[in-house]
Amino acid sequence: MILELLAVGLIVSAFLAVHLDDAVYSVASLTGTLILAAVLYSLNDATFVAVFQLAIGVGTLAVLFLSSEMLSEKPSGKKPLKNTFLAIAAALLLSIPSIFLSVRTIPTNVSSGVSFSEALWNLRAIDVVLQGLVIMTIALGIAIVLHEKKEGKN
Amino acid sequence: MDYVILSMTLLAIGIYGMLTKRHLLKVLISVELIATAASMNFVLIASSLNKALGEAFLILAFSTDTCVTGIILALLVIASKKYGTCDIRKLAKLDQYETIEGEEEESNSRIEEDIV
Repeated sequence: MILELLAVGLIVSAFLAVHLDDAVYSVASLTGTLILAAVLYSLNDATFVAVFQLAIGVGTLAVLFLSSEMLSEKPSGKKPLKNTFLAIAAALLLSIPSIFLSVRTIPTNVSSGVSFSEALWNLRAIDVVLQGLVIMTIALGIAIVLHEKKEGKN
Repeated sequence: MDYVILSMTLLAIGIYGMLTKRHLLKVLISVELIATAASMNFVLIASSLNKALGEAFLILAFSTDTCVTGIILALLVIASKKYGTCDIRKLAKLDQYETIEGEEEESNSRIEEDIV
């Protein structure tokens, strides 16, 4: 029952994130979606992924989205409250198939025999490459900011 | 409950947002939803099959996703500051009239006429 409620909440908040006009509310809905996804992961025994989702997904993305929203233009005009309720109703309808329908996958009891830490160790080369990517992105961001400042002075 | 259908629904919402919304931030939110749907498939199927490799791979995929988001947000801020709009249709029209600084006013009026 908890999983079903989580799924409904996930779809409703995802739909509102796309549908709502105000960027702040939209970002709040997206944050809710990511939090609910993290809870879903944790209930399915993927605790490490849930922690990463909370740390990276919710923390970083929410901060980045809100900061960008402050710098960007504000949309004019507001949708009536009725539209929001209609959107929630549509999202509830959308969540019905995920609760009642099912796609059968081949059941398997075969375990790969690789633990989580072993899998991380096996993927350490990709980890190093991705760390390089993160550092490169930060450098690119700083370069863009400095370039903008230089143009602003000129 | 089936997680495949759940992630497919999330994917559908993301595609709907990408196709219908004009604000750059909304498009980015839709991309995030699509990425979340893909992640959900990875995690929950790997978890149900008892394979840790999928989860480990996903943790690395999260960092890439965050990098991509950071770059797109930087572009959003620059577009907003430089052109004063985040509407993707207006931004798509800008390259047709990209001119040197002296002709900026004329260019802006032509863009406004086009949009009207």
